[in-house]
Amino acid sequence: MMEMSLEVAGQIIAGKTAQILVREKAGGQIEIGDLLVAEEEDDYVILQAYELAYGSQVPQLVRELLAGMKLEGLGADLDFLEPQLRNYVIGQVKAVLRVIKGTELKIPKTLPRFFSTIRHANENDLRFLTKPEHPVYLGKVRSGSKILDVDVFVNGKDMLTHHVLIPATTGRGKSNLVKVMLWSILNKENFGILILDPHDEYFGRHAKGLKDNPDAKQNLLYYSTTPVPGANTLVINLSSIMPSHFQGIVEFTDAQLDAIKLYYNRFHERWIENVVRGTDVQGIAPRTLEVLQRKFDNVLGVYLDDEGNIQCRNRVFTDTAGLATTMEITKALENGKKVIVDTSRLLDEAELLIGSIIASGIFYRYQNYKSEGSLEEKPVVSVVIEEAPRVLGADVLAARGDNIYSTIAREGRKFKVGLIAITQLISMIPRTILANMNTKIILGNELATERKAVIDSAAQDLSEDDRTIASLDRGEAIVSSNFTKFAVPIQIPLFENYIQDSPKTKDKHKTVFVG
Amino acid sequence: MYKFAHLADCHIGANRDPVLENLELTAFRNAFDLCIKEKVDFILITGDLFHANIPDMHAANEAVKKMKEAKDANIPIYVIYGSHDYSPNETSIIDILDSTGLIKKIVKGEILEDKLKLKVFTDPKTKAKLVGISARKTGLEKNYFEILDRESLEKEQGFKIFAFHSAISELKPDFLTQMESIPISLFPRGFNYYASGHIHQRVETTLPEYGRIVYPGTLFAGYSRDLEDSAKGTKRGIYIVSFGEKIEEIKFQEVLVCDFIYFEYDVSNKNSLQARKELFERLRKLEAKDKIAVVKIKGELSGGKISDISSSEMRELLMEMGAIDVSINRYGLTSKEYSPFKVMGEDIPTIEYRLLRENIGTVKVSIEELKADKGTKLAIDLLKILKQEQKLNETKKDYIERIQKNALDTLGLGDELK
Amino acid sequence: MSIEIAKKVAEFLDERIQEQDIGSPYFGSPDYETLPFDPTNFKPITHAESDMRAAFIDGGNQEILGAPNFSVQINRIYFNIFKGQTRILPKSMPGKIEFYSATLSCFRHDEIFYDTGIFPVKDEFTNFIPNERHLSFSSVDRTVTVGTQRADIERVASIARRFAEWEFAKHVIENELEERDMIVHDGALQTGLTNEQIYTGRAFEAAMGKGVFFTGLSKTSALFTTTGLSLLGAVQKLADDFRVKGPWYLPIAKVVNVQHNAFIYVVKLHENADYVFRYEIHGDQAKKMTEKDLYEATWVLAENSKDITFPGYPYGLIDADRFARVGENEVEKYQTLLLSEISKLGKWKKISRHICSSDAHSILDMLKG
Repeated sequence: MMEMSLEVAGQIIAGKTAQILVREKAGGQIEIGDLLVAEEEDDYVILQAYELAYGSQVPQLVRELLAGMKLEGLGADLDFLEPQLRNYVIGQVKAVLRVIKGTELKIPKTLPRFFSTIRHANENDLRFLTKPEHPVYLGKVRSGSKILDVDVFVNGKDMLTHHVLIPATTGRGKSNLVKVMLWSILNKENFGILILDPHDEYFGRHAKGLKDNPDAKQNLLYYSTTPVPGANTLVINLSSIMPSHFQGIVEFTDAQLDAIKLYYNRFHERWIENVVRGTDVQGIAPRTLEVLQRKFDNVLGVYLDDEGNIQCRNRVFTDTAGLATTMEITKALENGKKVIVDTSRLLDEAELLIGSIIASGIFYRYQNYKSEGSLEEKPVVSVVIEEAPRVLGADVLAARGDNIYSTIAREGRKFKVGLIAITQLISMIPRTILANMNTKIILGNELATERKAVIDSAAQDLSEDDRTIASLDRGEAIVSSNFTKFAVPIQIPLFENYIQDSPKTKDKHKTVFVG
Repeated sequence: MYKFAHLADCHIGANRDPVLENLELTAFRNAFDLCIKEKVDFILITGDLFHANIPDMHAANEAVKKMKEAKDANIPIYVIYGSHDYSPNETSIIDILDSTGLIKKIVKGEILEDKLKLKVFTDPKTKAKLVGISARKTGLEKNYFEILDRESLEKEQGFKIFAFHSAISELKPDFLTQMESIPISLFPRGFNYYASGHIHQRVETTLPEYGRIVYPGTLFAGYSRDLEDSAKGTKRGIYIVSFGEKIEEIKFQEVLVCDFIYFEYDVSNKNSLQARKELFERLRKLEAKDKIAVVKIKGELSGGKISDISSSEMRELLMEMGAIDVSINRYGLTSKEYSPFKVMGEDIPTIEYRLLRENIGTVKVSIEELKADKGTKLAIDLLKILKQEQKLNETKKDYIERIQKNALDTLGLGDELK
Repeated sequence: MSIEIAKKVAEFLDERIQEQDIGSPYFGSPDYETLPFDPTNFKPITHAESDMRAAFIDGGNQEILGAPNFSVQINRIYFNIFKGQTRILPKSMPGKIEFYSATLSCFRHDEIFYDTGIFPVKDEFTNFIPNERHLSFSSVDRTVTVGTQRADIERVASIARRFAEWEFAKHVIENELEERDMIVHDGALQTGLTNEQIYTGRAFEAAMGKGVFFTGLSKTSALFTTTGLSLLGAVQKLADDFRVKGPWYLPIAKVVNVQHNAFIYVVKLHENADYVFRYEIHGDQAKKMTEKDLYEATWVLAENSKDITFPGYPYGLIDADRFARVGENEVEKYQTLLLSEISKLGKWKKISRHICSSDAHSILDMLKG
């Protein structure tokens, strides 16, 4: 057996549950977020440090005086004799997991033995973190700022059907995390992922991205208004849009809704086309029609040009092409493919609408499969959506009612359709929705209100981890999930480094041209 | 100013029924007569001229006779392979006709340094530049598009036509979602005319940064769905394109060879006896004389067997009424008493799977591996293998052996027979 | 106090504490051979190459339960060893011993006597504690009385600890120290109690036998000068007047009598020290010490006196004091235990009767709040 590092890092001296006090051994180097181990006979307890304070045998006032002396240059040869004995660090730690006989895991309900020495956790202590079925890779276990060579995977089937929330402020590595996760499941056909990409950062147009995966050719689709060779054009026929797709995304007045109903009943899938063309329909005030036309111009970018042709400012919506696009994407998702929709040139509403069309399509198909009894064979489908409060925010839902995203958040689990929601402002999402998002991959957040909201809705007790979350550096995260035994601190690898270890593309067979 | 005719998907030899075969050939002849009358400078046929690489010889012969007329009128005929009439080792009827000089295959290229470099063919008279990629089975031509050297084609000067026989993803109709298609991003930009085939609907459109994209549609009917579309009002014909340095005019010229009548009947909420009675009553009222009658029966019978509604009886009736041919589509007809027979999606792989899956239960076998999903998958796999083509440098003997081996391996019998 | 009165008191102090003439050391006994104050007598403590180790000893005690006729105390003796600034772990001895003592009054030979019983906390401490028969004192023994009143039992009870310190020192010398090491006792080397010499004698003998320097450092001193000033204060003034830079030592006196056999110095152990201390070396040893020896001993002390929390006071004694001290909060714990056992015996009523006779103070204190 490998020689384990058994160096003592400190000793338990006092405290209570969730606030055990540990005196750090001089040089013990306990960091916030560190995983520590207190051993007992057959078991050991994993603890985590969340607060550090100075402790001293010398009273505060005296210390202030002494510091003053030093600063003013008095007593050059004076110092604390036996400094490590008299000035030290007291760590506040909490017990996170009890490991019984190396395999059984329990939430700790008793205190570790008083005055036990504790040491830093090593890879061996975490050997219970095995690779689950349908694994999605998240990173390596992190103890403080140290990275342990233990990979962290979560069962993708469970995780994605029960939704994922990634709360973080900018620059903490959200997109990097999602790229790493998706890379690890790119070739797995039991996950279909739709990525609404408002910053065009997942494909890898100008840098490394998902396109560099050896299985990208078969498993990755990319839709963009400016596609690279081989990618698909993001072009959607107006006939693919139903009035219900606007639900919760665009607000219409009652008069407008009535008008829409009339147009739809009369022209069916050509309803928008006819609105834009201004086809007369009895019972609709010209003013209402005008406003609707303007609305579609704002939201979809469609308008009628001087020659009577329908044009689109963002080049996405048209009446002449793109009939199969949304269906193609839906089918691809059902076949376990990963689909990136580049919405970087679209305004919010258009982006959400496109997502709404595809997500509704998949959701309702899956509802059907369930009633037919064939849902089991289908892959899990998950939708990656950034700035989630746009559709999951309490104020948005109150003003506009539910939309397909909130419906998926509330009910998607039953139908194997999930969300991966990324947000800076988790506090804007109502509790009822947060409660359904059973995996939270918490990245650093400097806003206290947001941290509180994260802590309040986490799967484990993170009430002591405010400081820990505030001190998460870029690429550091805590995975709090119903599917992990404890809130696992992880280090997410930099995507560019992570992909270097992947097998390279196989050599292509020599192609022969036949004309 | 010059002109060329663009047609595709003639599917000569598709229809075995003598009446339909005749109409198919008539359509072809009329199309060519049109070209000759319009004095086009060349004819471009973008794939599936024939329904198979070795088609029905009678039909082929008739078609060839007509093509000779065009040749004699100094109108060259430029072709590419379609998904039906191609051959990987140049043993298609297309190749034979090309060797005689009757038609000319314009697709030529080679793969250098992993890039496909296409050779541009220039029509001697008009100096129009033609270049293209033929079809292969099940959309395998996509590989060629992926390695295509687009830049050099984009740099070509003059009037350029890109000929191909594939669906463009962005232009596919929604019921063909499952069909293999090529995204427009793989095409070279800036050609004056993108001439395609394969999709039997007529499509004429543009996409930003690409010129006119035209699918002429099938000339008559390659599949029974085509008859239904024609009966519902879809016009069939060819395109005449006038051009100089750019396109001056694109004209669709209809080629009409017969009239159609379309009749659709929904049996829902009726039992087979009621439905049959009402259906036949309505049929009798149709003006089917001298027309092709296309009948679609759909819906779920509340009782009785679907076989109670007899296609042959319907056909007899309509023929008696003077219809020149009858096409009956009853895929949508189900009965409460029998398991549903849904067809989702109209493309072949999906239909194949569903048909096999739904009918495998009627085949009595004792081995587990031949039943239900396992059996269906086995059947599909076997089908895939048996569909495989002879490779370029493979002898026939090797080819047969390879297919046999793969097939037996798939059945798990490979070792046993060694 | 009003400002006026404070002013008056301040002026009074200033008027009466005259430093113009600091006089010379005054011990009040011809046995003390004193040296007059002379600035040239200040000797700098300079760096010396030395392997000398220093052991520091201190003790502490607190009454757990008391009445006029009995006093139960917890006693603690502690030692450490330093080489310069580095702590040396003991070879075999326990670093600390503890014992309880119960001192009771009895009537004997027509007088009240105080007898003490000793209860070591661990059996292995038995060797280090004084003999009970040495801890029997008459209540009118002059060495323990204050004024003409009978000696206070609590004060007598603390004698056990004092004797134990000497006894412990003996064992430290025998088991932990080598020739030319030094032991530093917290306090002067002067005895004053009946039977004390038995223990000091044994300790000094051990030191002489092994060649270990027996020394003592007093935190406080009640010595005077011939002009009524405090000795230590006068020495500080002298040093200030002549700008003598520390660390230094100043020989003060020599004494040889039954109770006190020592060379006495005043030392300032760090340049920045606010305090100077009385330092004594056992007389018989001091006689034989060369100047080099003296430099070395004082240097070792000074080296150990560089802790920033109390510059000029040996860290060894800071440490010893901390561990030997018995805190108020500890007392309550022991008290509770003892009271509980007394109750179990069913004898609380008896005991409490006697406690009450001296307990009124604490009630009044409590009332004061």
